[in-house]
Amino acid sequence: MPEAAFAELGFKSKLKMDLFPTIWCPGCGIGTIMIELAMVLDELGLDHTNTVLVTGIGCTGRMGSYMKYESVYTLHGRTLPVAEAIKTVRPELNVIVVAGDGDTASIGGNHLIHAIRRNARITVLCNNNEIYGLTGGQTGPTTPTGTKTLSSPGGNPNTPINLQGIVRSSPHALYARTTVYHQPQMRTAIREAISHDGFAFVDITSQCIENNGRRIGFANANDMLTFYRKTYKRAPKGADRLGPFELGIVYPEGHAERTNGTQTDGAAAADGSAVEGAAPAAPAPAEVTTKAERPSVSDDEKARKRAEAQKKLALMQRLDPEVKLRVAKGELTLADALREAGIDPAELEA
Amino acid sequence: MRRLVQGNEAVFRGAIAAGASYYAGYPISPSTEILNVASGWAAEHPEFGFLQAEDEIASANAVIGASLAGAKSFTATSGPGFSLMQEAIGYAQKVGVPCVFVDVQRVGPATGMPTMPGQGDILQVRYGSSGDYTPIALYPNSVTEAFNLAVAAFNAAEESRSPVVLLSDTFVAHLNEVVDLDELEAEVTVAPRELAPLARNAEADPRFFAGVLMYEHGPNAGEPATADADEYLRQFYAAKQRHLEVANRYALYQHGWNTAARTLILCYGIVSRVAAPLAADYALFRPIRIHPMLTDELRAVADGYQHIVAIEANDGQYADMAELALRREVKRVPLLGGRISLEAVNAGLARVLGDGPDEPPVPPAPTDRAARAPLGIG
Repeated sequence: MPEAAFAELGFKSKLKMDLFPTIWCPGCGIGTIMIELAMVLDELGLDHTNTVLVTGIGCTGRMGSYMKYESVYTLHGRTLPVAEAIKTVRPELNVIVVAGDGDTASIGGNHLIHAIRRNARITVLCNNNEIYGLTGGQTGPTTPTGTKTLSSPGGNPNTPINLQGIVRSSPHALYARTTVYHQPQMRTAIREAISHDGFAFVDITSQCIENNGRRIGFANANDMLTFYRKTYKRAPKGADRLGPFELGIVYPEGHAERTNGTQTDGAAAADGSAVEGAAPAAPAPAEVTTKAERPSVSDDEKARKRAEAQKKLALMQRLDPEVKLRVAKGELTLADALREAGIDPAELEA
Repeated sequence: MRRLVQGNEAVFRGAIAAGASYYAGYPISPSTEILNVASGWAAEHPEFGFLQAEDEIASANAVIGASLAGAKSFTATSGPGFSLMQEAIGYAQKVGVPCVFVDVQRVGPATGMPTMPGQGDILQVRYGSSGDYTPIALYPNSVTEAFNLAVAAFNAAEESRSPVVLLSDTFVAHLNEVVDLDELEAEVTVAPRELAPLARNAEADPRFFAGVLMYEHGPNAGEPATADADEYLRQFYAAKQRHLEVANRYALYQHGWNTAARTLILCYGIVSRVAAPLAADYALFRPIRIHPMLTDELRAVADGYQHIVAIEANDGQYADMAELALRREVKRVPLLGGRISLEAVNAGLARVLGDGPDEPPVPPAPTDRAARAPLGIG
């Protein structure tokens, strides 16, 4: 990682910033998921030598091209067999699938059932926007009953698929539900999923304003996010099943830390992941971090790093915007920038 | 050690000798023995990856994933399963994934006459998937050849960076012949894997394996080229050229029997064994590399013969290819419905060489219950 020495930029080392802006519509939720994923990968010290992305056709599938990871853009619905085979051949790799709800639960539904049955040791991030967005807005497997779409002008007559029920049909699988609004909780869910030694599924409710939201009465993406904020609530601690509009993590039976994803939510996770990105102590590429053995970060360590990052941020505020940009791009270290600006870099250590 | 070896087992052992370390499959007759043997092999060799998948679509895609991860991988199926794999094969062609698909043919479709032998997938191999591609396909007619061509298929896959098809049929698959596998294994040369496995190179820029075309070289390398026809042409012809060059190393065929005869018989797979008693009166051209078509080789041979007759267990699929290659009439003896016998071959030859029609006489439907044929057994 270049010396992008302040907290917010750690995750950018995981993204191909030169390909930005992305292809996604303004207001789309996928970019948020990508950034949260990048933050978690950065925090866990996972890079392109120990982690592989597998994406499926649909808007979500393009994520692989924007991330600095080796990735396979698979046929529609076929992420899971590809991912499972990669994991079989190279058990030391973290294999992360990113796909939409149509890809995962409709055309790929059979693979989903059986990857869960076999407890494939992979992580699935499902961008659940309740619509086929790329084709203009047709009913998907998770579209709520009654929603009007291009292919159900009278309202979707069917019940949405029960992803939680399918995933939890295996005693070994982890299921988490989150939304694009609840970013710290999303990071916790993604982190727990990657760390889970078994099949892990993160169901991420996400907004498609252009091809769904506007048709069903939302004025803009912000309205959809506000809806998520007001509607979705954390599940009660220890819940082994998430009710409608409940967020949380349901661990497999017998899981040691039954936190339901609530304990590390909030400030610690919100900042902690970003701070991690700045830590030069990320594991060297040779030290592959697998699902089984991830680095654990104690609360003390998190607090210390958080304080350090805040100090760096405060110092950054005193720099010229152009200099800040150069630091962000890694052209200049923060210490050098401070020195040039007449600030004693020793303040970093203070 | 010399012992009886089944065609399907020989295919599997050839794959192992060629360096295969991953198998994914779904049970389907008459290919199932390969799945069975693979599962047994995996139980004894923990480094060998094995997946009994939920369907052929999953098998084909798992084979692609395993290959990109660095394993030489393969699957085996029959015509109906091969149909389900076609999208993945087209994808593997475009992305450039070395892997092997074994298609043990039977009479299609999945229902109807599933246990009867056939050769109906010749053109499916060539044109089955969406878009344009140049597949390589090999077809043995003996247990020894099944072993050797399995090795050749893996090597051609590595050299061409493409999915190579090893064709077979019910009879070749279930043929038991005495061979010495140790002796065959001793003569194997293995093509190395040139495509770097996923996540192995810390120095190189991460790659994006996409069904969507990406710029492969130049200033835009790694960016989407989904609307650039020039880049499509560059990549398409580079791949086609590569496949044809590799195919030239495997321009395998047999020209023999009585080469002084007036009639040249085209046949392959089990039909070439069934027709062998005709050796005294006919010449034989047996293509072993089915695709790409052996155009130059067949042209060089065909000139001297008055008649060319394609005998195959389909409705003239190779005959169509041969006619196109030779620009002259190729007579057809279709052996349909699983009736692959010397009697049917002889009757067919007598018919077409006597200027009769290509089609065999179709008997009228029986009116008498007792005249019904019994249920077929494979």
